[in-house]
Amino acid sequence: MRNALLVASREYVDNARTKGFWIGILVLPIILVISVQVPRFLEKNATPTRNYILVDHSKNLESVVQKTMDDAYQLQVIEELATYASEHMMLPQGTNMPDLESVPAGGIAGMLQEFMNSNPEVVEQFIAAGGLSTALNMMEGLLKEDAPEFEAPRRKFQQVSLPSGVASTLQGRELADALTPWLKGDQTLDGERAGEDLFALIEIPADVLGEGKVQYWAVNLADSDLRKKVERSLNQEVRRLEYEKRGMDSGAVREVERASIGLTSLDPRKEAGEEEVSLADEIRQYAPIGFVYFLWIAIMQVASMLLNNTIEEKSNRIIEVLLSSVTAWELMAGKLLGIAGIGLTLVTAWILSMLGILWYFGGQGTEITTQLLDVVLGHGLLPAFAVYFVLGYFLYASIFLAIGSICNTLKESQNFMGPMMMIMMVPLLTMMFIPKDPNGTLATFLSWVPIYTPFVMMNRAAADPPLRDLIGTTVLLIVTNIGMLWLCGRIFRTGILRTGQPPKFRELFRWLRSSS
Amino acid sequence: MSDFALELHGLTKRYGEFTAVQDFSLAVPKGSIYGFLGPNGAGKTTTLRMVLDIVEPSSGSMTILGAPSALDVREKIGYLPEEKGLYKKMKAWGTIAYFASLKGMNRKAAKARAYELLERYGLADFADSRIEALSKGMSQKVQVLASIAHSPEFVILDEPFSGLDPVNQQVMEEVIRDMASEGATILFSTHVMAHAERICDRIVLLAQGKKIFDGTIAEAKETMPTRVVLDADVDASALQKLPGVIAVEPHVVDGLERGWEILLSEDAEPERLLQECFSSGIALRAYDHRPPTLHDVFVHLVGDDAREAKKR
Repeated sequence: MRNALLVASREYVDNARTKGFWIGILVLPIILVISVQVPRFLEKNATPTRNYILVDHSKNLESVVQKTMDDAYQLQVIEELATYASEHMMLPQGTNMPDLESVPAGGIAGMLQEFMNSNPEVVEQFIAAGGLSTALNMMEGLLKEDAPEFEAPRRKFQQVSLPSGVASTLQGRELADALTPWLKGDQTLDGERAGEDLFALIEIPADVLGEGKVQYWAVNLADSDLRKKVERSLNQEVRRLEYEKRGMDSGAVREVERASIGLTSLDPRKEAGEEEVSLADEIRQYAPIGFVYFLWIAIMQVASMLLNNTIEEKSNRIIEVLLSSVTAWELMAGKLLGIAGIGLTLVTAWILSMLGILWYFGGQGTEITTQLLDVVLGHGLLPAFAVYFVLGYFLYASIFLAIGSICNTLKESQNFMGPMMMIMMVPLLTMMFIPKDPNGTLATFLSWVPIYTPFVMMNRAAADPPLRDLIGTTVLLIVTNIGMLWLCGRIFRTGILRTGQPPKFRELFRWLRSSS
Repeated sequence: MSDFALELHGLTKRYGEFTAVQDFSLAVPKGSIYGFLGPNGAGKTTTLRMVLDIVEPSSGSMTILGAPSALDVREKIGYLPEEKGLYKKMKAWGTIAYFASLKGMNRKAAKARAYELLERYGLADFADSRIEALSKGMSQKVQVLASIAHSPEFVILDEPFSGLDPVNQQVMEEVIRDMASEGATILFSTHVMAHAERICDRIVLLAQGKKIFDGTIAEAKETMPTRVVLDADVDASALQKLPGVIAVEPHVVDGLERGWEILLSEDAEPERLLQECFSSGIALRAYDHRPPTLHDVFVHLVGDDAREAKKR
């Protein structure tokens, strides 16, 4: 045992000094920060304001589109203002952050969206009340001391006038041809949008209410936001005109269209009065996916370390000196334990940095973070993670160790790792589906395959899998672990001293049977 | 307690059809320096691995420092394998200390010992260097020191001289002598006969898995017929007639024939041959009678075996 611990501590220290280990520790939090920050950044900065030219031969619809765009911009301002307020306004005493357990599934953004859809007059009221400047005036005095200046968002879409020299009487292809240099980006706009590109040309024909079709000319076909926005606004107007033509009250129609029924998700397992499915429930349902991903990366990473340094010892022939000092079992146990230590360090560092990031980006104080933590850390997810990490680690580590022991070079090990990776991909491919039917046939079946048990059971952890599955698969996993350790131990003992080609499967089988 | 550090009884190792070592017996007296010689593929490394209980013999038994397995007394044994290698990222002192601690030394003592050895054998400046920063010769020295840091009673060295320059080969000899003077028993394998001849008390010769000689160097030389080299204007047949002569072959030096090499029967004396030459009227330009070197003995005993291509 002393020797195994000596080997373990050397493995630990040696691997903890490698660059790979530190990269491993840092990579996950960095990816996490990036995946939170980059979309936020891109949304703000990456898409430039889309400049468009609207030529309306019908003379009636230009103002309609303009109003839609203005309203959309005001909504953008309101949303931005709401975010700004929630981040920088002092909360009156006694006010609490919304409790995740009581926020309906879909989240705060969903709530806001729903509110706007059923109350389009909010924008009108906002403008009528004086718009942004009034709102900012009202907020004054309520802001925290270190609050930055409010930055109004950029317009997503901006109408520009025709460049000088292009006649507004041109139609169709001729108009498009005249504007092609701008649309292609060969020429930039002048006037107040000087230096910017023209994104699209929208031409409304004179007989738009009859046979005519609106033409949307653009080089960029991927970004269809503008197209959709224009389409929706024109359709709305066309319908309004149609209602009027038939003598219907368009105001009444609009009210009718806004009517909707409420739909609440309820969970019969919850206490009476609290059955509503909350945001917390949703997070809880999907949180295991994150853990499965962690588990997979962590196990892969440390098991690969084991493979690499076993091959190093073998190809350097250090193994012989080691084996004259310790038994093959002690060596194997030492390596497994040492790298397990590395793995636990890695995982702990990840979890701590996760908490750090949550705390940092929680921003609105610690309460929302505490609530998120409650959701993630409660319900036994963390203990389950620890148990499945340890069991999964020993299972895969012993396999990787055996592979390492029969290969002389990393290249040789690729032959074994290829099929191994294919087998290991399964939990990654299924992890998004399993929460949808956590106790279904696929999930149950995969849970009982020991090499998938850690991942799939982690996946199901939040869905209260039946006790039979919970205990049965764990027992099976432990038994498999013991069997695998024994099996791989035998391969390791014989393989580690072998040079030359890796053995054929038949030969491996013989090693398992032979007593020597 | 036995007077022998190591006793092997009929050790045999088979790999499938192939017999690597056959019925090998040996007794290594305590405190001796024993040379383990043989051509490539003779089974030396396999034998040493069996001695260390790294591979299990197919049959046979042994006693090492009074125990049936080297693992029972591993803290008293030092081993340097044939192919040298160390952890590249570890420091020189750390490597030595690690292997010493695996052999039962406590960590503090192991560290002190590592620095002491590095100093003694001229590597003090490199104690804190990583192995990957050392030259091949230096890292090999580190490995040798790692294998003896725990002051073992019995040291097994597999090809300790290979890959070392002449100066470091001297250092290696010095290490072996130092160990012996401290009372350790040493068993080492080598191809270089000069080293064996200079430092061994006894040698054992292995060819194709079988022991073909075991004894002192003097005894080894006695297995060779006496050889005389002479240069004279006579042809082989005249020399062949002289009493005691078994064979006459051209003596070749640097690709040129320089007289004759004469093998004498065991009871013949070289001085008699000289007299016979004079009395037969053979005019000698040169006469040289020198005792055989261990190299000659090696080539004589295993020459044909060694040249034959072997299939493993």
